[in-house]
Amino acid sequence: MEKEAQTVILDSITEGVFTVDLNWEITFFNQAAEKITKIPRQQAIGQLCKNILRSELCEKDCALQKTIETGKPIINKPVHIVDAKGNRKAISITTAILKDKRSKIIGGVETFRDMSLVEQLRKEIQQGYSFEDIISRNHQVQKLFSILPNVAQSNATVLITGETGTGKELFARAVHNIGPRKNRPFIAVNCGALPDTLLESELFGYKAGAFTDAKKDKAGRFALAEGGTIFLDEITDIPISVQVKLLRVLQEKTYEPLGGTFSCKADVRVIAATNKDIEKLVTQDKFRRDLYYRINIVKLALPALRERREDIPLLIDHFISRFNRLHNKNITGVTDEVLAILLEYEYPGNIRELENIIEHCFVLCQAEIIQRECLPAMFQKKQIDESIGLNKAVTLEEMERIFIKQALRQNNDNRTAAARQLGINKSTLFRKMKGFDIK
Amino acid sequence: MKIAIPVWQDSISGVFDFADKLSLAEIEGQTENNRLEIPLPNEPMPQKASRLKELDVDVLICGAISKSLAFLIIGSGIKIIPFVSGQIDEVLSAYASGQLTEMRFLMPGCRIGTRKGFVKGGHRCRWHGGL
Repeated sequence: MEKEAQTVILDSITEGVFTVDLNWEITFFNQAAEKITKIPRQQAIGQLCKNILRSELCEKDCALQKTIETGKPIINKPVHIVDAKGNRKAISITTAILKDKRSKIIGGVETFRDMSLVEQLRKEIQQGYSFEDIISRNHQVQKLFSILPNVAQSNATVLITGETGTGKELFARAVHNIGPRKNRPFIAVNCGALPDTLLESELFGYKAGAFTDAKKDKAGRFALAEGGTIFLDEITDIPISVQVKLLRVLQEKTYEPLGGTFSCKADVRVIAATNKDIEKLVTQDKFRRDLYYRINIVKLALPALRERREDIPLLIDHFISRFNRLHNKNITGVTDEVLAILLEYEYPGNIRELENIIEHCFVLCQAEIIQRECLPAMFQKKQIDESIGLNKAVTLEEMERIFIKQALRQNNDNRTAAARQLGINKSTLFRKMKGFDIK
Repeated sequence: MKIAIPVWQDSISGVFDFADKLSLAEIEGQTENNRLEIPLPNEPMPQKASRLKELDVDVLICGAISKSLAFLIIGSGIKIIPFVSGQIDEVLSAYASGQLTEMRFLMPGCRIGTRKGFVKGGHRCRWHGGL
């Protein structure tokens, strides 16, 4: 078969394919390989394969090298790579030897499949989220990241505060998944979703005969979380009567199931969360002060999305990639106008609301780029605030200029504070100000 | 100034996320004063970022790096020069003499639309939000 025909065939398949010579230099790179690695073919050819595939195996346990040395193919081995855009991706690789007509080994061939969708679904089913799933370059979130490893390693009770949709459960799962209890259960309880009368039995379980219809013993969520972590979301919705029992679990590490006569030991880490002003509830006697002190050992205050606007473009990118995989679409981004609208919006529902907006766009958008018409109805009527000049912003560069001016104004021309708010270095801000002639 | 470079054999490791050795060099002006190699344990991203901070690293010169890890490192006040390839000795001396922006140190896959900017202003591969 002619070389051109081979290229056409290999370009038509959805698996990435590359070949290497005996110096590990790439001799062929198909279209799917370009798409998965985000590296154009002309830049890949002639390069060392480790600098192109960028997988965790390349420098430690190269699959292709193993195959060439042993003659045995490796089939569907799961690995992670980092593509040229900095995305960490799950792929599965298969390797084989490449021989010439005289059966002399001339190199190897590696095929690889993008497993991002599978990995994403697995994460969503198992809720195995980690830090890499929390996307932020905001300095407040970065500060939280820097303390999280120590928090995760300790057994201390954690209180996560933040408005609805800021990712409290994602943080709680990340703490659990990097801590010593990661192989034990993570049990999430939305305390606000359970009626007061049920909450106690749900948390602590009950014994047969504790109440009518209690025919046999039932384990509570604390028992299910034994050895692991219990996440008590909306903890401020717990009635005072149950707060006393919870206090006992935290103080004495024991509890009594409803109708039980003996105490049960509880080896459970507690992570609590609320979107309410818990201190105010304490002063109003709606939340026990002693319990508040018990849960407020480590407090993680998550900023609202409007306080971390620099993350909006990153999150838009993240959700577009996610929905592209889930909806099997190929949307590449949003128009400058849509970006300006989304950057300006206040997001009372925070990240969850942004996610919903992007999903809405995916349902309506037929083009490759999300247009204003695809946004939910509320954005169709909304006019962009003329006072900040965003309505005139047609390019990202222009928007950048507006945001720099805004940040400087909001920080009384304090450049250090403005740079921090924008999530960039002071020197980058100076350079950009010089470039935009902002004084 | 303390420079950290992930090492594989005598070159920059392809991906910082997966590197298991780190070269630490002290540079003053154009002179390299001291260099040592330490193991880099396979640990979660925040620990990796904290480790660099504990080592008093000012600049991380690396190959590819995932966005999440890059943001963590930048967030801890460390400057990153990503997508660099080459031999450690050459890279360090190029950094010390301000010549690291030369095309030969740029990893493949970073060249679309960056060549001009790269040579002139040291712009490298960038993703949304840049580095």
